[in-house]
Amino acid sequence: MTEQDGNLVEVTDLRKEFGGLVATNDVDFTIPRGAIVALIGPNGAGKTTFFNMLTGVYKPTSGSIVFDGVEVSDLPPHAITALGIGRTFQNIRLFPHMTAVENVLVGMHCRLHSGIIGSILRTPKVRQEEREAVDRARELLVYSGLPRRHRERAASLPYGDQRRLEVARALATDPKLLLLDEPTAGMNPQETADFTAFVSRVRDERGLTVLLIEHDMKVVMGVSERVTVLEYGAKIAEGTPHEVQRDERVIEAYLGKGATTE
Amino acid sequence: MTTAADRARTWVSGRDRSLWVAAGLIVLAVLYPSLVESLQDLPLIGDFVPSVSGMVVMLAFTTMAIGLNVVVGYAGLLDLGYVAFYAAGAYTAGWFASQQFDQWTFHFGSVGIVKSLPGIHLSVWLVLLIAGLFTLVVGILIGLPTLRLRGDYLAIVTLGFGEIVPQFVRNADEEGIGFDLTHGAFGIAPIDSLGFGSLGERLGLPESFQTSTDRAKWFYLTAVLILLITVFCSVRLRDSRLGRAWIAIREDETAAAAMGVPLMRTKTWSYAIGAFFGGVAGAFYSSFRSGAFPADFYFNISVFLLCMVILGGMGSVWGVILGGMLLAYLNVEGLSTIGAKIQDAGLDFDPTKYQFGIYGLIIVAMMLFRPTGLIPERRHAIELEEGVHDTPFYDVTTEATLTDRDPSDD
Amino acid sequence: MATVRRVLQFLRQPRVVNGIGLSLVALVGIWLAVNLVKEPANFVNVGLDGLTRGSVYALIALGYTLVYGILQLINFAHGDVFALSGLVAYTVLITIFGLDSGSSGLAIAGGIVVGLAITMPLFAIINGSIERVAYRPLRHAPRLAPLITAVGMSFIVSNVSLALYGVQTRSASDLISNAPMFEIGEVVYSWKKFVALAIVVPVLIALTWFVRTTRQGKAMRAVAQDPEASAMMGVNVNRTISVTFFLAGSLAAGAGMVFLLEYTMRYDTGFELGLIAFTAAVVGGIGNLAGAVLGGVLIGLIQSFNEGLTWFAAGSDWTRSIVFGILIAILVFRPQGLLGEQTPEGA
Repeated sequence: MTEQDGNLVEVTDLRKEFGGLVATNDVDFTIPRGAIVALIGPNGAGKTTFFNMLTGVYKPTSGSIVFDGVEVSDLPPHAITALGIGRTFQNIRLFPHMTAVENVLVGMHCRLHSGIIGSILRTPKVRQEEREAVDRARELLVYSGLPRRHRERAASLPYGDQRRLEVARALATDPKLLLLDEPTAGMNPQETADFTAFVSRVRDERGLTVLLIEHDMKVVMGVSERVTVLEYGAKIAEGTPHEVQRDERVIEAYLGKGATTE
Repeated sequence: MTTAADRARTWVSGRDRSLWVAAGLIVLAVLYPSLVESLQDLPLIGDFVPSVSGMVVMLAFTTMAIGLNVVVGYAGLLDLGYVAFYAAGAYTAGWFASQQFDQWTFHFGSVGIVKSLPGIHLSVWLVLLIAGLFTLVVGILIGLPTLRLRGDYLAIVTLGFGEIVPQFVRNADEEGIGFDLTHGAFGIAPIDSLGFGSLGERLGLPESFQTSTDRAKWFYLTAVLILLITVFCSVRLRDSRLGRAWIAIREDETAAAAMGVPLMRTKTWSYAIGAFFGGVAGAFYSSFRSGAFPADFYFNISVFLLCMVILGGMGSVWGVILGGMLLAYLNVEGLSTIGAKIQDAGLDFDPTKYQFGIYGLIIVAMMLFRPTGLIPERRHAIELEEGVHDTPFYDVTTEATLTDRDPSDD
Repeated sequence: MATVRRVLQFLRQPRVVNGIGLSLVALVGIWLAVNLVKEPANFVNVGLDGLTRGSVYALIALGYTLVYGILQLINFAHGDVFALSGLVAYTVLITIFGLDSGSSGLAIAGGIVVGLAITMPLFAIINGSIERVAYRPLRHAPRLAPLITAVGMSFIVSNVSLALYGVQTRSASDLISNAPMFEIGEVVYSWKKFVALAIVVPVLIALTWFVRTTRQGKAMRAVAQDPEASAMMGVNVNRTISVTFFLAGSLAAGAGMVFLLEYTMRYDTGFELGLIAFTAAVVGGIGNLAGAVLGGVLIGLIQSFNEGLTWFAAGSDWTRSIVFGILIAILVFRPQGLLGEQTPEGA
């Protein structure tokens, strides 16, 4: 099995305890390269905890996370981003008073190399790097559907544009894996459909792998190729969207025991 | 009523406008020594015109304020111990440009003194650089235990360092540590002067400022140059990749980390750079004073510098220059001049005694009524008005943290 | 650089940290034991001295911890309020009441009680006003803002002390005699030392009662845990914060009175004492009231041992450095303090 195929992410026996509470319960999880995978589950199932361990915010109590062949469970967030995981946040966390371009430029931080002395002297190399970075940032903004928003302050953008900007910023980190945390929350059906198409495009055109946390089943059904369901921190089902939709345990988890009895 | 946010809906650089003003000011600054006497003859305001040597001190302190601005204004870290950097720079000059280490005799580029004079005597120009680098290392060392803490603890710990370093230099002599590092309460004096050496002499420049006919003027011009270089570096860094990282950290640390910005390293750089300029200014000042004396270094100075940054405008280079020169003027000459006027008017009130109360009052008044400072920096104005996500990412002191990761892994 | 980081990473591991911490504690224990064996009477006397000092530190530390628990603000001005209160206590006792070392015990005791009845409410109001004027407007500003204001406030208050009292020290330490209250061999517990406890202990008891049983006390704990939820439960958050500042102010005044009776006070005493007391609060666990008392007593003992013992003691020149070193060590090795996390549950 070559590095090109196979799994981009391999999570083994991942466990997270907060004092007495077990938030993640010995979960095994893989993400095949190039796939769009969704992580769903009722509130409190531990999806965000899982995300946070993937991105280095939380340290797992035990277990391992291997990303592209590298063990990342003991790395801080910025190092994981440098390795190739980009993310958006459930509650949008743009840099509110930076412009759209500046937000994206921050995303490029780990891909740029200008140092202190170079920045002070503004050497030709630094100037060129900055020029190219701004060009790339503008491209990403256009690509993400924000063609005329470069110089607008992030906090003053409409909600849908803010979500797109977050994605543009995450793409700026040049990721192999894109983590989207409830990206369509608060969107109307049209916006949701547009966004779903966008996610597909991003995966197809940029060769990315995508992991979504989602509550909107239309998005899950519409775009994901595999769905994993968590409940109380443990994996209770995994498979194609259709398989999962029919899984008894999943229905119970969402609707309660009564729903499965006819 | 338009808010700062409205006005800054799109970002526009005022850089070109600034350059012309700067050029004009530089010209005036260079001409100042020739103008000062005529200025002091003016009626009414003449008494308030600072002397050239007063200006030297003002410029040195303003340079330090610009350095502090990098830490407080750019990176958003409340450093209450900046005086430690000032002291480190001053004593570096004391070590490498005086007779302190008279066990050795080593000269390199020294001016104005006999080559057989004991002690280490490097060219003071070189010493300025060495002082900056040494203080930079001190900054990194202080940063190691400090920068992992949330804002208020960081403030207290830097305050502590700002207390310990002066205490240390006061006690680091034969009796205190068994080795005469800082010559204790007496300080190190004399410290060599700057100068252009024999090469300069041939060009008509003074060999040593100390022995020249216009010592103050030459130190003054050097101070202007140092301030200009510091401002230049500060502005360049602000507009660089590192500067963006600082803004990101100010506005949302957690998001910044997720976007690949290494929090500890980036904050440490702000410390290191602030320390560098503090060290250079400290070394320069001690060459001007011809000595490094423990009595010159005390905690209140850190707050004095902070007041300059707050008064002028956090993050605003023009603002800090204005705030710095204004407050330093008050400290060096202004308050005593005002005091004399008050005495003349018959009142027995000496404002110099209460100068730190005055600075405290300025700080509180500014924070309540104009937190953005005299010359606000656009982005800080919006951040103050609209708020930022300033929950610290690392917070070792509570259980309710955003992360359970240890900052030293960062 | 990478090796430095790896070394630090090794040092940060819990077992290493605990190992280092325990070794430090063991070293201090050995040092104390040696001193105890060498000069037992002096050791105990110095220890009692430390207890006296520690009780003052405890009161001041409580002021810091109460405010921090509820606002996450280090009230830099607190130490200077303490100093001013001590100076005002001098005015009350010596200038107004005219007490001196010749006055009768009853007069002195009465004077102290009445003095406290004056200074404690006075400084409650002063402290509350500081909050109202300088900190409340910045309640929703970025965290840096009230912090900076507190620094400025500290300088204002200390300069008020300077303006009112000049640079001379003030003391009422000759009011209470050094005569022994009881003595065992060479160990002397003087009346003077007792007065400190006589004031501090009742204040602590009153405080505990207030925080544990009264509605306001419960409100304080609620707001410290979750201001929004408390507001929704009908707690008047602003009033609760004011009450906290009133309490802290009167605690400072109590400490000021004790300090005046035991030692000497000056306009700038607040700075050093503030740093020491804040360290004590952190050592005990910031936000934790019992922790503040424990921390205060510990630091008081450490200082007295450092200055009073003779075997390998660094002496008063190094007290500030030692206290500060402790602060750093705690924040590095055990940032939640000795008594644990930041939930101000009273004791």
